Amino acid sequence: MKKATRTLLYIYLAVGLFVTLFLVHCGLTALTVTVPEQATVNERVTFVMHSGAEPRIEEPGTYTTQLLAGIMVPKSWNARENAVLTFTSPKGNGVMRMIPDAEIEPVSGLSWHQAAKKMFGIGPNLVDDFEWIVYRSTQSYTFRNNEDIGFDVKVECNVGAENMLVRLGFYVGSSIENLRPEDTDYKKVAFSQVFEVTGGEGDLIDFVNPQLATVQPVRTLDNDIITLTFDAGVTHTVLDNQEDVYVTIRCFDEDGLLIDEINEQTDKTRLRSIGGKKFLLDFWPRGYFNVERDQRIARLEYFYTDASGTLRVGYGNTEEPFSYTFRCQ
Amino acid sequence: MKINFVVSVALLFLGLTGLSSCEDEVSKMATAETEKDIIGGWKVVQLTRNGEDLSERLDLSGYRIEFNSDGTYTLADQLPFIADAPGTYKLSDPQYPFALILTPEGVQEDVVARFQFPVVQGKRQLSLSFSLGCESNTYQFNFERENQN
Repeated sequence: MKKATRTLLYIYLAVGLFVTLFLVHCGLTALTVTVPEQATVNERVTFVMHSGAEPRIEEPGTYTTQLLAGIMVPKSWNARENAVLTFTSPKGNGVMRMIPDAEIEPVSGLSWHQAAKKMFGIGPNLVDDFEWIVYRSTQSYTFRNNEDIGFDVKVECNVGAENMLVRLGFYVGSSIENLRPEDTDYKKVAFSQVFEVTGGEGDLIDFVNPQLATVQPVRTLDNDIITLTFDAGVTHTVLDNQEDVYVTIRCFDEDGLLIDEINEQTDKTRLRSIGGKKFLLDFWPRGYFNVERDQRIARLEYFYTDASGTLRVGYGNTEEPFSYTFRCQ
Repeated sequence: MKINFVVSVALLFLGLTGLSSCEDEVSKMATAETEKDIIGGWKVVQLTRNGEDLSERLDLSGYRIEFNSDGTYTLADQLPFIADAPGTYKLSDPQYPFALILTPEGVQEDVVARFQFPVVQGKRQLSLSFSLGCESNTYQFNFERENQN
């Protein structure tokens, strides 16, 4: 009886070792992407992901899975509605379908899109106005040992109506592996070089380069809670050696009429230092300016100042104020 | 051998008796989900925007809401919220609510917040999720009862 138990134990250990070896030696190859340098607004652009599979499976075992692919693009592109993903491989070609929001990624307990955002973030971009969207092949594919293949995933997508500098995100994975944090074999991520969209109206949205000042989230209305940031490390300004930085700020209605101005150096206007010469201030505009119930703030103009209010920094380190327009589109 | 058999039968009989008595007790237990009682004053203890925790960066001391037993609610002044006026409230379902429905005074349409009622670190929380401005921005306000120790 004891001998049989010991034999069983050895078998379990052997199976465990086999599974471990299998996991270590099977997976996807590094992901590279082909992304054009620029496009004009509303142009339909093609991006291509290149990766491959290297199955190392003990014969006669097989590995059956569906291909996953994800893209991280600005929300303003509305890629959920207009992006189309297809793939080509020696094992077959096909169309990929967006995974429904209701389907939960088992490891994170979030939707696949939220799980990808949580796991991969926004990469080298500095301002977050992005969404990850994850797609899955409609068919499953079975791999045998050493059946190495390369595959391409083509993404066709409209680039939206805004001028921007952005680095796009891409992901490929295996459906049966989910998004395990410790896994490095079955999920491959890459971010593109800087991609520029030109030809549109309005200011350039620069997701890539450090900004002297930003407002986050990128799209808000006056009833959102917004964050003003000041990055003194971007360039030399008159506020270089200031420990405390304040904001002096004005708000305007849709007709461009001044609603209110706050020009004081108090706790209300002092930004918090978050280290690295960066400062921020969070506030709810409607409460901050105490506007009437039927009033709407359409735009802000602001400067950053020292404690005396005499030294101040504006847009592009000039005497022009920073400007922010409340909008959702 | 005979003794073993008798003991086994006796034990089986006792076990079955126990099971049947358990069944009686189980059938007497109330299994209905309790109605969610949110009446009282609640203060915000955590606030996230698009998953980013702003609790330490904002002064939340004035962020409170009161649900009254007559079906009305009142808001603290200066509270960023889906409603900007007092009014009436109801849950989407008394036992299994997924939404809190507010009808602010002077507003034609109801406003709806996603509702959760978890116990966090031994304390009941009222968790509401909604958008304040743009729909792309989601906020989660986690409240605790003001008189909860």
